[in-house]
Amino acid sequence: MTTDSIITARGVTRRFGGLVALDGIDLDVPRGIVQAVIGPNGSGKTTLLNALSGASHADAGSIRIGGEEIFRLKPHRIARLGLARTFQTIRIFENLSVIENVKVAAACNRPTSLFNIAMANARHKNSEAEIDRNAREALETVGLAGRANHRATQLPYAQQRLLEIARALASKPNVLLLDEPAAGMNMTESMTLLETIARLRNSGITVLLVEHNVRLVMGISDRVTVLDFGRKIAEGTPSEVQRNPQVIEAYLGRRHRHA
Amino acid sequence: MTRSWPIVAAAAAALAIPLAVRDGYIVQLLNIAILNAIVVLGLNFVTGWAGQINFGQAAFYGLGAYTTAIATKAGLPWIATPLLSIVVVIAASLVLGLPTMRLRTYYLAMTTIGFGEIVRLIIVHWEPVTGGTSGLRAIPGISLFGFGPHGQLQHYYLLITTLALAVLIAWRIRNSALGRAMIATRDSEIAAEQSGVDTARTKLLAFMIGAAYAGLAGCLYASSIRFISPDSFSGIQAILLMTMLIVGGMGSIVGCVIGAVALTILPEALRFLGQWYLVLYGLGVIAVIALAPGGLASLASMMPLRRAGAR
Repeated sequence: MTTDSIITARGVTRRFGGLVALDGIDLDVPRGIVQAVIGPNGSGKTTLLNALSGASHADAGSIRIGGEEIFRLKPHRIARLGLARTFQTIRIFENLSVIENVKVAAACNRPTSLFNIAMANARHKNSEAEIDRNAREALETVGLAGRANHRATQLPYAQQRLLEIARALASKPNVLLLDEPAAGMNMTESMTLLETIARLRNSGITVLLVEHNVRLVMGISDRVTVLDFGRKIAEGTPSEVQRNPQVIEAYLGRRHRHA
Repeated sequence: MTRSWPIVAAAAAALAIPLAVRDGYIVQLLNIAILNAIVVLGLNFVTGWAGQINFGQAAFYGLGAYTTAIATKAGLPWIATPLLSIVVVIAASLVLGLPTMRLRTYYLAMTTIGFGEIVRLIIVHWEPVTGGTSGLRAIPGISLFGFGPHGQLQHYYLLITTLALAVLIAWRIRNSALGRAMIATRDSEIAAEQSGVDTARTKLLAFMIGAAYAGLAGCLYASSIRFISPDSFSGIQAILLMTMLIVGGMGSIVGCVIGAVALTILPEALRFLGQWYLVLYGLGVIAVIALAPGGLASLASMMPLRRAGAR
């Protein structure tokens, strides 16, 4: 499994003062699957995502994305290596239109030349045309093509979440990290979201999904990793994990063992 | 075709206005307004789009003006001065920009105010070169291979053409990956980074482009007004430039031009009020900020011919 893992993390540790938010996490995500990271509130799910994406670096450990060590790399470098993400609290670009939000990421691996821009020459126009194509394709994938020219802030909440996914897709990632993508969505919207995630996996993108709502992820995930208090307490197929007594304990309470 | 009529109308107005007023003093005022508009367009890259507060823009303007004044008075042909001023000012922007990349908000404001003050003090005290507080006079005029504008009107047409070019390049940047990266950096630095935007580079580029605009405007100021003094590039001027950006409409190219022209002409138009003009001026600025937080430019989009969203 390790030979064809797209994410290989070893001993990832993150401390906030005295609190150990991640305590030597090992994580292998095989290429082309949907893997969920679940756990109670404060178990370290988002901290793990931040460490993987470089948003907030780990203090120790090794993280490889597609064989490339990304530990302590700046987030834009990690993004250019093919890792994209969404955020738990929405972070869209409020002063850009819907399509422009997506275009920001579609320009991910293109060098910008001030000279070409100022001259508006053929190279610049070709580059912008391709950015536009990629952005429209990404909007199409999440079903927001009809909203391309709206202001991003005019979109309802659930569509802003989809916009974040489109933006992440526009950089043509190999790995997509989704941080509670269904938060604030109703049942219908969540179901559509799950279908979209399944489609992405079928197109070859590896999806790492952080989710608080366990029932939601069980159906779609190929593998589930369970965190509790910054440690990995279980890993396996959804049904294996659901039967794991430690997992049940973590979710049902009985925290006194940590006290 | 229907979308280009505002541009055609603006261009026609810009060409006709000085012919209509036929008053050297007013045309001179318009020339200063145009130069201010170029400087504010530069400030818009940094503050309006990349979201970095910058009170050093007046100092860049001044550096550009003094570079050209000193160089042409020393005998350098005028044709070399726009580039020279731009290069000097970009170098200065790196001196200010590189160490302050990580600063934000109040800290960046304080640092850039300090930078402006340092530049002003150097100009005031380096008297043999800069002329000190009395400034530099009789600066050689604009001359391209022996040809140059004569009189206010010809200067006006040269300056308005430069402004049109400055607007065109700003518009192209706004609609390019670079412009979107600047605005993304302002709206959410972390989301921009995770989308592959090198935010440190983007901010520095915005800073350098903004400085280049100020440097070019400074060069044209020195060789068209032909007299410069430290007062024109002081901290008060820096605040005035920021006010033009806010009143015109932060982030809006049209707003930069409207704000610069309005706030250059208004004090002169209100001169008949004597000292009371400042009261009216202040109230006007407060009214715009309170009633149209998007600036004067946003008033246009409130009218019925509202364009469908952002482009």
